[in-house]
Amino acid sequence: MRNSVFWAVLLAVGLAFIVLSRVLIANEYFYFAGYVVLEYIVLSTAWNILGGYTGYTNFGTGAFFATGAYSSVVLHKLPLLLHTHFGLTIPPVPLPLMIVVGGIVSGLVGLGTGYLTLRLRGVFFAIATLALSIVVQTLIVNWDFVGGSRGIYIIRPALAPITGGYIQYLFSLMTLLAVIAIGIARSIERSRLGLGFHAIRDDELAAEASGVPTLNLKLISTTISGALMGMAGAPLPYYVTYLDPTSSFNLAYAVNSVAMPVIGGMTSWVGPLIGAILLGTIQQLATVMISSAANLLIVGLLLIAFVTLAPNGLIGLRRQNPFLFSFQGRVSRRQIWLQFLLPLIGIVIAVNIAGALVQVFFPAIPGLVLAQLFAIATIWPQLAVCAKRLHDRGRSAWFLLVGLIPAVGGVWLFVECYCLSGNSGANAYGPAPDTGVPAALAQAA
Amino acid sequence: MADQILTVSGLGKRFGGFVALEGIDLAVERGERLGLIGPNGSGKSTLVNCLCGTLHNETGSVLFEGKPLDGLIAHERTRLGLARSFQLPKPFHSMDLVDNIRIPLLYTVNARRGGHRLTAATIAERCEELLGHVNLADKARRRPRDLTQVEMRKLELARAVATEPRLLFADEAMAGLSHSEIEEILAVLMRLNEEGITIVLIEHIMSAVMSFSTRLVVLVAGHKIADGPPQEAIRNPEVEKAYLGE
Amino acid sequence: MIQLNLLINALVSGILLGGFYAAVSVGITISFGMLDIANISQPAFILLGCYAAYVTNLYFGLDPILTGIVMMPLFFVLGMAVYRLYFFAFERRGEQAIQGLAFFFGLLFVGEVSLVLAFGVDYRFVSAGYIGPSLHFGIIELPLRMLLPCVFSLLMVGLLQLYLTRSFIGRAILAVSQDGLALQLMAASPKKIKQIAFGISIATCSVAGSFLIIIQPVEPSIGRDYIGRIFAICVLGGMTSIPGMLVAAMLLGIVESITSTFYGPSWSPAVAFGLLLVTLAVRPAGLLGR
Repeated sequence: MRNSVFWAVLLAVGLAFIVLSRVLIANEYFYFAGYVVLEYIVLSTAWNILGGYTGYTNFGTGAFFATGAYSSVVLHKLPLLLHTHFGLTIPPVPLPLMIVVGGIVSGLVGLGTGYLTLRLRGVFFAIATLALSIVVQTLIVNWDFVGGSRGIYIIRPALAPITGGYIQYLFSLMTLLAVIAIGIARSIERSRLGLGFHAIRDDELAAEASGVPTLNLKLISTTISGALMGMAGAPLPYYVTYLDPTSSFNLAYAVNSVAMPVIGGMTSWVGPLIGAILLGTIQQLATVMISSAANLLIVGLLLIAFVTLAPNGLIGLRRQNPFLFSFQGRVSRRQIWLQFLLPLIGIVIAVNIAGALVQVFFPAIPGLVLAQLFAIATIWPQLAVCAKRLHDRGRSAWFLLVGLIPAVGGVWLFVECYCLSGNSGANAYGPAPDTGVPAALAQAA
Repeated sequence: MADQILTVSGLGKRFGGFVALEGIDLAVERGERLGLIGPNGSGKSTLVNCLCGTLHNETGSVLFEGKPLDGLIAHERTRLGLARSFQLPKPFHSMDLVDNIRIPLLYTVNARRGGHRLTAATIAERCEELLGHVNLADKARRRPRDLTQVEMRKLELARAVATEPRLLFADEAMAGLSHSEIEEILAVLMRLNEEGITIVLIEHIMSAVMSFSTRLVVLVAGHKIADGPPQEAIRNPEVEKAYLGE
Repeated sequence: MIQLNLLINALVSGILLGGFYAAVSVGITISFGMLDIANISQPAFILLGCYAAYVTNLYFGLDPILTGIVMMPLFFVLGMAVYRLYFFAFERRGEQAIQGLAFFFGLLFVGEVSLVLAFGVDYRFVSAGYIGPSLHFGIIELPLRMLLPCVFSLLMVGLLQLYLTRSFIGRAILAVSQDGLALQLMAASPKKIKQIAFGISIATCSVAGSFLIIIQPVEPSIGRDYIGRIFAICVLGGMTSIPGMLVAAMLLGIVESITSTFYGPSWSPAVAFGLLLVTLAVRPAGLLGR
């Protein structure tokens, strides 16, 4: 798809989303929760431009995000300040302008940090971003104009510039920001700039020797990434109405903006989007059921699990483990029992026992909930392996839908996938899989 | 003085207290095939790194086609016409071979001031052409991890050649290869030289260096101890001592 | 006159603090400076040491420093296990630094949140005979709760330096930090040596944590302040040198103490991080690749 076409489609989807939700959904909670998920789409897409594309890890998302938020606070208080000290009257600064300013300020912070540290190895940049978070937080804490450690109250305007409530307005703005972030990410991916970023990630010395101006490109990457994060933070004061340093620099932002691309997949714009929607939605739902600390524990554990076991994220799973995740090809009856069902039963039992034990000894940690989450995670592999068994029996994977028919459908599907043998020899879906029977005997049968 | 493409005067490099290179003077004539040899740890790769801008030399100056290189970083030197292949091949793993070649075309050839900007179509053609020259055209859409050792070396050279250099440092491009593979690489380098590229061959494999070079430079413990026609340089008693011991 | 009094005591406090900071940073000097493993989860292990000392002190009345020393073998084994996992996931595959960093970041985070779930966000402290009283020398005040950790820290760092420079394994660790291949040629396995070294770096957290909870009450999020401190000290100290690290620790302790005394404690966290940023910006020697 050409880039211009993609932008058009993306904008159309974004606008459709805004309009449809406005028309169909009246529940305020949807807009509050949706805003957070959209925020994370922007943050993880922005993070991935520097992290996934260019290979430089940023742990200071909180710093850039909060810079955007606090620059909005300054602009919010600016009219009052100018009026009382200089007698000037200016209208309240509109939020879209605040977003632009937030982006510029955060972009400059990114540029500055990059300039100080990008000549060094990547690990020092990562550590510097951690340092940046604390430095910026300390500066804010000691700056009374924006509330200091006490925090500041921001009053939402009574009327939104467009019809509907103010929170719907914020939701719409964040949807547009998500569209912009994704559009920028994809444009970069396909461009000369993106190729340069990837070269830096793959081998910075070789890139430099091939003529890539690595320092300049890294600075560009950091600036774009930081700017987008700042833009995501700019509307925050109006969303929360009470802003204080600890909540805005919340480590949750840092961890999530790393975890979402890692889990979704860092190689393209699709990964952060999937990661943000999946993880963001889970967290919004989980916060009502379990404590926010337990919520964050899950995110941290998922991050560790994915980064060690599935480094290419969800979008890379199909290639990493075709048996469990790909819908193509065939799998034999023997394979589905020995390589899938029996190990799965064992693992599910083990996970549930572990979950129960954790629940007993550490009541604050929802062990059984985690065990249920694992069960949900097995859905995709179950579908994929069964699809391949259907292929083995010469049927299309669409027959999986038969399983939706109450009782009968489930039984039929089980019999098809687990009890009946597949076609001998090759069929439309590929060559015969390993049935444990030597080829010569199978041919003779 | 004949056309010197590279003039090195008094180059020195230290790592903390360790003196890696000291007082290196070197003149490379345009179009020649210079062999650079020396025992392990003599400073050959350090010298290449300093000349290409990957490392910074504390003393000495370097002129490339009469222009001083001091202060220029690696990508700027590449854009001037200085290219190198790496001792351990460093391909761009996440891209196919075509994109590996596309990067130097986009970032060196297209970026040169006063140069000709290639269109996307021309670049695509050029990539296939360059891969064809090293017999990698049939693997153009594959990733570097699907390549054999010698193919990776060839990719490394193709990528360096893509920058349209006038001087190419081939840093131990033949280590660990079989006899026929060495011949393959030498043939590629010879052809490049015939097309007008000055080659500096850094190598351990004596047979290759002796047959290929028009001139030989010997480095031992960071100092240049011999410089001249291959047969003469080899017979230098200092060189014998360095390689065979007292 | 009053200013001088404050200054001198700030200086003394700073030195005592610096000694403690040395104990906190010696682990990262080994894992990051020598082994090139950016273990940003180190503060999580230090906090683990704090809470271990807290638990034994609360339920068994044990002296925190004693707990710290007794728990060292446990932490050592834990460290080796973490290295094993790290090696399996990253070093073996030669993966990008980015994923190793994400791993340790996840570990740091899981560590902090687990402590919150287990102990809550309230400040915890220990009781011991030496927390409270101070020695007085004229205008100089030496709180015992700072003096004892400082003394024991210097002892631990000194012993470690001796171990690294005199024992076989210690020297193997120094060797592997410079050239893994040379070590292989000496018929020692770099992986085993690195495993032991990493285990040692985590073992120091047991003791460092017990010192921390003696000096001040702790709660899980204070670990984040220490990330900047330990990396600033390691980098300032020249990465691989333990004596250098000691000097850097003293320097940071003094600067922080003076800033805190004259400008207020709310600026303290920024001092270490600011120093780190400045160091990274102006002292590239030894930081540009390996």
